[in-house]
Amino acid sequence: MVIMIFIKHHILKALTLLTLIISTSFSSFSQEAKKITPYLTVQYSKDTDNQRVLQTTLTYSMNRMEIPLPGMEVSISVGSQSEKHLAAILTDEKGIARYKLDDNLTLPVNKEGFWDFSTGYSGNDSIESISSELSVKDVDLEMVLSEIDSLKTINLTAFTSENGKKKPVSDETVTIFVPRMFSILPVGDVYLDKNGTANFEFPSDIPGDNEGNLTIIARFDDNPTFGNVEKSTVQKWGLPRDNYTPGSHRALWTKSPPMWMIITLSILLMGVWGHYFFAIISLIRIKIEAKREKQRMNIGYE
Amino acid sequence: MEADKKLLKDLTPELEKTSIKWYLTFFLFFVLFVAGIYGLILQIEKGHIVTGMRDNVVWGFYIVNFIFFMGLSYSGALISGVLHLFHTGWRKPVIRMAELITIISLIIGPFFIFFCIGRLDRLYFLFIHPRIQSPITWDVIAICTDLVGCFIYLYLSFVEDFAILRDYADLNVAPWKKKLYRILSLGYTGTDIQKKLLSRARMIMAAMVIAIAIIVYSVLAWIFGVTLQPGWHSTIFGPYFVIAAVFSGTGLLIILMWIFRKIYHLEEYITKRHFVNVGVLLMIIAAFYGYFTFSDYLTKWYGSIKMDSILIDKLFSDYYSLFIFANYIGILLPCIIIAFPRFRSIRNITIAAIIAILALWVNRYIIVIPTLETPFLPIQDTRPDWIKYTPTWIEWALTVAGVSVFAMLFMLVSKIAPIISISEMQEKDKSEILK
Amino acid sequence: MNNSENKAQGKSSRRNFLRKVGIGVGAISVTGLTGAAFKNNSKNGLKSGETVRLLTTDGKLVEVDKSDLRPVKEIVAELKEEARAGLPNRKFGMVIDLSKCKNARKCVEACQEGHMLPRDHEWMKIYLLQDDRQTAPYWFPKPCFHCDKPMCVSVCPVGATYKRADGIVLIDNQRCIGCKFCMTGCPYSARVFNWKDPEIKLPPDHAYDPETNIPAVEGTVGKCVFCADNLRKGLLPRCVTACPMGTIYFGDLLEDTVTNGNETVRFSKLMEERAGYRYREELGTLPSVFYLPPVERMFPVESGLEDVDEKIRDRYKNAGPR
Repeated sequence: MVIMIFIKHHILKALTLLTLIISTSFSSFSQEAKKITPYLTVQYSKDTDNQRVLQTTLTYSMNRMEIPLPGMEVSISVGSQSEKHLAAILTDEKGIARYKLDDNLTLPVNKEGFWDFSTGYSGNDSIESISSELSVKDVDLEMVLSEIDSLKTINLTAFTSENGKKKPVSDETVTIFVPRMFSILPVGDVYLDKNGTANFEFPSDIPGDNEGNLTIIARFDDNPTFGNVEKSTVQKWGLPRDNYTPGSHRALWTKSPPMWMIITLSILLMGVWGHYFFAIISLIRIKIEAKREKQRMNIGYE
Repeated sequence: MEADKKLLKDLTPELEKTSIKWYLTFFLFFVLFVAGIYGLILQIEKGHIVTGMRDNVVWGFYIVNFIFFMGLSYSGALISGVLHLFHTGWRKPVIRMAELITIISLIIGPFFIFFCIGRLDRLYFLFIHPRIQSPITWDVIAICTDLVGCFIYLYLSFVEDFAILRDYADLNVAPWKKKLYRILSLGYTGTDIQKKLLSRARMIMAAMVIAIAIIVYSVLAWIFGVTLQPGWHSTIFGPYFVIAAVFSGTGLLIILMWIFRKIYHLEEYITKRHFVNVGVLLMIIAAFYGYFTFSDYLTKWYGSIKMDSILIDKLFSDYYSLFIFANYIGILLPCIIIAFPRFRSIRNITIAAIIAILALWVNRYIIVIPTLETPFLPIQDTRPDWIKYTPTWIEWALTVAGVSVFAMLFMLVSKIAPIISISEMQEKDKSEILK
Repeated sequence: MNNSENKAQGKSSRRNFLRKVGIGVGAISVTGLTGAAFKNNSKNGLKSGETVRLLTTDGKLVEVDKSDLRPVKEIVAELKEEARAGLPNRKFGMVIDLSKCKNARKCVEACQEGHMLPRDHEWMKIYLLQDDRQTAPYWFPKPCFHCDKPMCVSVCPVGATYKRADGIVLIDNQRCIGCKFCMTGCPYSARVFNWKDPEIKLPPDHAYDPETNIPAVEGTVGKCVFCADNLRKGLLPRCVTACPMGTIYFGDLLEDTVTNGNETVRFSKLMEERAGYRYREELGTLPSVFYLPPVERMFPVESGLEDVDEKIRDRYKNAGPR
């Protein structure tokens, strides 16, 4: 009886040990099959024509590098309880899904006047689900360009519309940009005063296109309240660009060689080959002379 | 044309019969040539990776050989051209050889450039898309001009000899050779008008050949001189290369004089006097060459410009023995041998010439390769063949093949035309008549 | 975007189409056309209206307008012409911030990948330089400098390498004869040579374009091309976007702006504030690559030797003042 209990005890111990071993190996299995944790970022922007865009980026991190997740469906909704579903779009090869909000689409605002956007990815067998929220307040930005005392000035006004009334936006930074070939160049920023206005002196040494045209953008850049809201215009405030054609002159590295090279080479070649020509003519004349001599000798025999 | 019977008897036997030794020697050279061609085929098939050239030392043996062979062509320009213009008497037995050296080395030289070119199938682009701002284009134009000019000059000197051979009734050669002499002699019969035409043409071409030879070699020097590389960007490269070329040409002439004198039993015509005269020329040129070399390296060594100092350090460490051989032994030994009458013997002078030629080849090597191994940005690499240039068997084989082709061509020409100009030998120069 | 940019966009979309779709007509096709490729012929805009169904070399069935089919040779000639002309009204330049470089070598890898280079070809090289025992060592990334007075272009006997209007120096690998004079002419060791067949697998109807320099050709020279193909699409060169430290800035110097993908700054201001200079200015080749001295470094020099392969670390064991 005691022996039986003893044996049972040992068997139980063995079984527990076995279970423990098996379970840890199982968990290591499941560790290998653990899902990827993605990252979902949301950005709101409104361009100069008041076109509103929501851009979501779905990526995951591996070896400290961000790798995009293309072809995944991201759903976008608005409202404090995400009650208004806006769209479900697929991410492109960079993991970006862009949704253009309709102009006449009115979005529900919460009590602070913000739109509550929520985006989400439902996940699949290998990727976890993730959601991201963004609260944005609508703002209107106006830009007026003028030249005061030959100083190029930009006058900016920003206001929000609350209950039909315009409320100026103050204590916010607006950055002025000029788009360049690969990116946009920040030219300076201004701080909106209590009236929601600011003046910016635009520098006069920024190169424009051939006629001096520049696109000037004033933007709330990554503003925590307003997102990215910009206003842009084209103005002739840049320095005109000269037509840069380095290859058109005569140089060692261009298509046309320097004149002195052509002249020297021609003179040398003509001189030398001229002499060769002369020598060859002499040889021909020797042959002619030999023929004449032969004729003379033949005539002499007759 | 009539010719001195004795001259004919001495100088024509080689045209009539060929000894077994000739065939064997020719065959030996031919085998070496074939080995080189095999290497070339391998190179064309597998790409230039089979050579020792890599991204830093992009120019190796082939360019060195190119410069060397082009330099040899100077013997014709200097000895033949200058001495002809100055009516120097003792030049007569040797000018034919000098002119032949010129032509043959001018033909071989460009082939080494072809070996160095990565895309041989596009070689003709040099002629249909040339850029005259490039020193290589100048080189192409100059070499073509030089080849044509030297050819005309050589032919002008052959015309009389062909006429003599054509008229030499006892000449026991194959009928095709006789026909060849007849065609190539252009019916020359030695009339006054013909003589005048010929001598005037020769005078003009002699002057041209000298001028062209100087231009060709200067252009070659400027391929290096106009670049920014330390060691190459030297203002004296033009004249320096010309002097070195004359040096090598003269040395080769002495060697060939010795060889043909031995083989064709021309002891009567090529005497010690000729050896001494050409030897003295060699010594003078050696002195000039030594002066240029010293001037170049002194300027580099004395100044503190970093890239020059790095190059000098490299020359005195990795290339020490080669440097000493090329620039000390190669200059001093020939000078000593020829300067002292006690040492002047035909054999010694020939040895001096051999040393001079080898030293000049090494001199070209240490001009081209150490500079490429010390670029402005340091070579930071682990592959040993990227750091230091080591020629492969293919490059050696092609070098030997080049020398073989030179020998073979010379041997072939000596079977068609006399190696000493008969017409020259019997012609009495104005200076000798007045004596 | 103004008019010239639109035009450039239009041209680039034409090229993009060619490359992206990469339609080559294989032996099997409905109409039996071989050796042709598709190029969007928006030049004259005329379409015959007649369409042709073709099977591409990678198995896709497409329908194209018959008038758009042209032989590859013709397309290559056009690409080469555009490559020689360059982008209008631009002058490209690069700024490399030596205080940020830590030999991460992502630029080298991105370049090799983007241009299908064999592993031992590096168009972007990274040196460990130390000017003197008493000065500090620094990592020195060096692409081709695209000089304004390029020695390599001056010495090329056949005009295979050329400097175009937007400042980029390119190589036409179908013209190059492999004389390597340009390699001895360049004082910055910017060029590499294809000593053997690079063995790149390309579709048979791939059209050669000097702006990508793909495929590399045996017996010819290759070098950094400032990713001219990317520039046509308005993208930055591959090394610029690949650098995790943002070391390399690139831009149109006529716009006085350079960017590293994250930051955009005015070029003249950068030069002034950070004392920008060019490597070996006294050589007078007028490079288009500027350097910012390694002041206030982000990383110690040794960190550049830590994360790299041993073979690469060995390269620098003799690095030091010369």
